Amino acid sequence: MTVRVFSSLRRIFPAVIGLLMLAGCQDSGSSSTGSQDAVAGDAESDSESADAPSSRSGKIRICLLPKIKGISYFSSCFNGAREAADELGNVELIYDGPTDGDPRKQAEMIEQWTIEGVDVICVSPNAPDVVANAMKDAREAGIHVITWDADGTPESREFFINQATAQSIGEGMVRAMVSDLGSETEGEVVIISSDATSANQNTWIEAMKPALEKSKLKLATIKYPGENSSNALADAQDVIRKYNQLKGIFGISSVSFPGAAEAVEQSGLNGKVLVTGLSTPNDMKKFVQNGTVKSVILWNTVDLGYLTVYAAESLASGKLKSGAMSLKAGRLGEKQIVGDHVLLGDIIVFTKDNIDHYDF
Amino acid sequence: MTPAPDSDQSPVNRARFDQQSADQQQNSDSGPFRKSIFHDSGFRWWHEVAVFVLLVLVLMVAQELVPGFLNPRSQLLLSRHVWEMALISLGMMLIIITAGIDLSVGSTMGLCAVAFGVSFEMTSSILLSCLFCVLTGFGCGALNGALISRWRLHPLIVTLATYAAYRGIAEGWSQGHSWSGFGASFSQLSRGRLLGIPYPGLTFFALTVIAAIVLWKTPAGKHLSAMGYNEKAARFSGIRVDLNRFLLFCISGTLSGLAAVFYVARFDTAKADAGEGFELDAITAVVAGGTSIFGGRGNVIGTILGLLLIHETRQFVGRYWGIEELKSIFVGGLLISFVLIYQFLRPSGQRV
Repeated sequence: MTVRVFSSLRRIFPAVIGLLMLAGCQDSGSSSTGSQDAVAGDAESDSESADAPSSRSGKIRICLLPKIKGISYFSSCFNGAREAADELGNVELIYDGPTDGDPRKQAEMIEQWTIEGVDVICVSPNAPDVVANAMKDAREAGIHVITWDADGTPESREFFINQATAQSIGEGMVRAMVSDLGSETEGEVVIISSDATSANQNTWIEAMKPALEKSKLKLATIKYPGENSSNALADAQDVIRKYNQLKGIFGISSVSFPGAAEAVEQSGLNGKVLVTGLSTPNDMKKFVQNGTVKSVILWNTVDLGYLTVYAAESLASGKLKSGAMSLKAGRLGEKQIVGDHVLLGDIIVFTKDNIDHYDF
Repeated sequence: MTPAPDSDQSPVNRARFDQQSADQQQNSDSGPFRKSIFHDSGFRWWHEVAVFVLLVLVLMVAQELVPGFLNPRSQLLLSRHVWEMALISLGMMLIIITAGIDLSVGSTMGLCAVAFGVSFEMTSSILLSCLFCVLTGFGCGALNGALISRWRLHPLIVTLATYAAYRGIAEGWSQGHSWSGFGASFSQLSRGRLLGIPYPGLTFFALTVIAAIVLWKTPAGKHLSAMGYNEKAARFSGIRVDLNRFLLFCISGTLSGLAAVFYVARFDTAKADAGEGFELDAITAVVAGGTSIFGGRGNVIGTILGLLLIHETRQFVGRYWGIEELKSIFVGGLLISFVLIYQFLRPSGQRV
């Protein structure tokens, strides 16, 4: 019985295909006339103009591109961005990014948004050189491009939403480590960074080096596990085994910090090797409560996302132009602009005493 | 360069005869219902037609849901994302036709990218770096080919080993370092266009035409299918199986090197992780395009259709839902359902 059904289906198959092919021919016929128009248009102007109408709903379309989607640092930024978009009302917020932190996927997403003709693209580049070409193409197509959280190459964007200066972040971390260890403590420290290409981490390291030279701590090595928690854990275990004078580990990305804390805890060195660095308070609460970590350093990530969307909206509606000295950003009030950096503010140091007051 | 003479002395015909008699055996075994009308008509393109129909369906749905999706300008601009994979698929197709496989192509790209970066640092010449990059690809392919044909090792095992080894060498050599800043004119190699088509696309089409001519119009092409249908028979018929296989892996490696040049140019970055996952993408495209994973059957038109199907599906999912990780889920789901439907309706004797 089944066999008979199969065989009759087989008999119908060519007819179905024939019908579909007819449909296909009509379809390709209409698209080929479209292609001639486009070729003619191509000859006239070589700029890569967007094909879609600039907005589907009359709203300003803002794309927020994180380095990596799904980690709590960027999710908290997104919460702030959503808050701002709701407040403004005329904004359609698109939040998407690679799940593995691959900057080449970031570049391809920017290229796709350029084709769609969105209004503003806000990028947190994981490797400035890799995304630079895509960002420049977007600008040539008339789309506003800004960076947030991490800066790109200067000609690839109009503004950088700067959470805190590299100086204050780098020196803040060293100051926290020195005071947590006691200023007379001598020994080795290591830095566990992100990718070797991460512009943020590299500028922070440059700010940390002179501060460390002034202290009694010696920088033994720098590890680059990427935005990958299991690599960060493995790198931290390596340095714990290798350096017996080790007093402290700096985990300077929101992925490497918990990884390093986990490694110290697993090897039973709580209190002997101190971990400090940058991460969201929610991720670090348990380590702060059990004493592995005394200080967590970060800026207000919710506010960073919030400010980014306000800046993007102001750019698209013409309220923000290059050379401006300040920007009105909702509940944050007037924010200062220095050169092409929109400044969010200063770092926050989370300790046992205040960490429970923050939820992001 | 003439087609193989149509006599029974030709090794190809002998190989084909083996296959036909096997088919007939199968048909008579499984009763009259196995004898499909497709088979009777002698039409050999059912798989390509089926992929084409699916592609048209995807495009129609996409155009309906995403206005302006089929705009040729955006299609051509976004086609930038596919050419490296397309180049690799071409070599992969030739190898799979002979019932082989090359899992090392992605890792070869990584090693080539590092070779590019290192030679650029030493010579600061783009031309020399490109040359060194392609040569590295050739060397990787030649090593695969030598191991496979000299000692008659299975391609799956050899290239699985070099898949790990080439990536390892690339990472060890570069120590996580990445090179960039090759200049705006070099990035034009991947981003520049002639008549709207990006240069890597033109390269791909030129090579595809060559591959098509070799496959359809030369004895060499017939030899490749013969090797895939029945290697032993091909050997006894005097086809130089080992030499052909060695050359195929050299070609595949060289194409990986070329793909690496375009890849480095597109992102202005040379790093050891270039081409990660490309081997599976390429195999997916080739197999979706109707090349039999058991060897013998396959052509460039199918491979192009397979590439297009995967590329357009990804693009549509990315534009309609804007969720990156949905792309792979959709491509996977589409392929499984396609293979199942095709298996169910296929002409007898053709295996997917």
